[in-house]
Amino acid sequence: MRRYILSRLIRWIPSVFVLLLTIYALVFFGAGDPIKLIFLQAPGDVAYDPARVEAIREAAGLNRPFLVQFGDYLANVVQGDFGNSLVSGRSVNSMIQAALPVTLQIGLSAICIVSLLGIALGVIAGLNQNKLLDNVIVGFAMIIWGIPVFVSGPLIIVVLVLGFNQDVPYGWDGLFSPLVLVPLLVLGLNPMALIIRQARAGVLEVLSEDYVRTARAKGIPNLQVVLRHIMRPVLTPVVSQIGLLVIATLNNSILIEKVFGLPGLGRLTETAIKSSDYPVILAIVLIFSVVVMTSNLLVDISYPLLDPRAAAKRTENEE
Amino acid sequence: MTELAIQGPQEDRQISLVQDAFARLAANKLAVLGMILVAVLFIIAAFGPWLTPYDFLDQDLMARNQPPSWNHWFGTDDLGRDILSRVIYGARTAVVVAFSTVFFSLIIGLFIGSIGGYFGGKVDAFVVWLIDITMSVPSLLVVIVINVSLKPSMVNWMDAKFMETGNEFYRNTIWVDFILVFGSMALIKWPKAARIIRGQIMSVRNKNYVLAAEALGVSTPNIIRRYVIPNSIGPVIVYISAALGEAMVLESSFSFLGVGVRPPIPSWGNMISDGLRVWQLYPHVLAAPAAALAVVTIAFSFLGDGLNDALNPRQWK
Repeated sequence: MRRYILSRLIRWIPSVFVLLLTIYALVFFGAGDPIKLIFLQAPGDVAYDPARVEAIREAAGLNRPFLVQFGDYLANVVQGDFGNSLVSGRSVNSMIQAALPVTLQIGLSAICIVSLLGIALGVIAGLNQNKLLDNVIVGFAMIIWGIPVFVSGPLIIVVLVLGFNQDVPYGWDGLFSPLVLVPLLVLGLNPMALIIRQARAGVLEVLSEDYVRTARAKGIPNLQVVLRHIMRPVLTPVVSQIGLLVIATLNNSILIEKVFGLPGLGRLTETAIKSSDYPVILAIVLIFSVVVMTSNLLVDISYPLLDPRAAAKRTENEE
Repeated sequence: MTELAIQGPQEDRQISLVQDAFARLAANKLAVLGMILVAVLFIIAAFGPWLTPYDFLDQDLMARNQPPSWNHWFGTDDLGRDILSRVIYGARTAVVVAFSTVFFSLIIGLFIGSIGGYFGGKVDAFVVWLIDITMSVPSLLVVIVINVSLKPSMVNWMDAKFMETGNEFYRNTIWVDFILVFGSMALIKWPKAARIIRGQIMSVRNKNYVLAAEALGVSTPNIIRRYVIPNSIGPVIVYISAALGEAMVLESSFSFLGVGVRPPIPSWGNMISDGLRVWQLYPHVLAAPAAALAVVTIAFSFLGDGLNDALNPRQWK
């Protein structure tokens, strides 16, 4: 078990490193000179003076080779310092500290909703295979999955305002305020098809197993058969979807925070993109990637707890 | 007579792979609906310029923000442009971007996936690692970073080229948008294709019928054509259908954020983002592109599911 976790960790570290290097190189070679960018974004009266630019570059250490600068950045990031914003000059850390909790709270709650509701609906659909209930659940999930959140979000607002004369749910007032309800539902329901599909397939696979038939034959009540014998093997394929789920939720939160006026990482991303604020964009990409990779790591680690056979098979495949 | 009787069923069997799959697809009503909608989308995209009642850039400032009418079926936007025409041109944008993205990600995926599947061992382990990393990247953000960071240098390069050569081709930077959009999307989307192709190569390569054909001396191109492709094409077709839908959503997501295909070139994403500013007063500006995008993505997911059931019958067990 310990060896398994260790082997996962050993794979995780170079992945994060390669990702960082790629994105840093992209910005470094692609976007060009940060000093020039600062000048271009400064208010109009600042003249672009090559000599002055050279002096600033010298002072900031920006004429050193790429790898040296990357090493520097890496060292700072490892110590938790993402540098300063090109636009406002504020430290990126403080911007992220303000925004991250909002996205994390909503995102995590959304993921919990999807997982619980999705497993329940998926199991119900599987138990009623090809009946009306199954078709309704699967069709509903597919339609919601098909409509992008930046379409469904505004449409819900339109319906709420025009149809029910409700106020627009806009802004952030803590996780437990009613303002969060609509964005939470949109974020949580959209990727539910991922979970429902896996849970349903898992149930169909398990239903024909001998031990389920035995349990039924022994006269164990149906509910108990479902909870004890069917649910547990269903959890493994569902957990394997969590990486995808996290990516979907992060992508969706970038798209939807603008719609509902949530001051989270998504909105920070949007403003940073519009003003080409690279230190901020770099930091957000990093944080998002680390979140996704860490959740993949947790999924990998949780496999042997859910199903020791699956873990044994995975390690075997690699060797 | 006897010869005919024998030949009949044999001929049937020759086309049975396609026929069989098509029969199963036709039995699935949702998949047929999806297929029809997707076909309509392709026709609209292909014949767009002949179908639009107005030019997508024509501004009629006397008829701004008009609700739907017989002159303007979907109304007009804040510059008096006909929304129906813009939605149709948005379909062109979506289809062009989706096809190029899927095409390039298939090429990258075919290259990397077949290297992994063919060589195996350490090469394969590296390929799998590369696939894993790329898949665990937050796709939307990375596409955005590529677009935002490379765009200025590419535009500068085009400008410099124009100054140098005076060639009109370098003056039109819309192509930069398109190339960056599907280039960056292909760079993020290839792992799924690579994973499918690698898996198919590995599973088909050691199947008994391939080994038997090899032993019988069938030539390699013939083995690939007769045995490998028919037995591995199913998941690839399903992938293409799903990926086309995903690419359209991704494209409109980031033109929604103001990256990617930029106004005045219509994309459903930037039309939705325009509509968001005025929906309280003119909900039709938002409704038309949003409905188009929703219908198309749902159509692709119905079609994809139907194809999956039709082409991978072994999944049923």
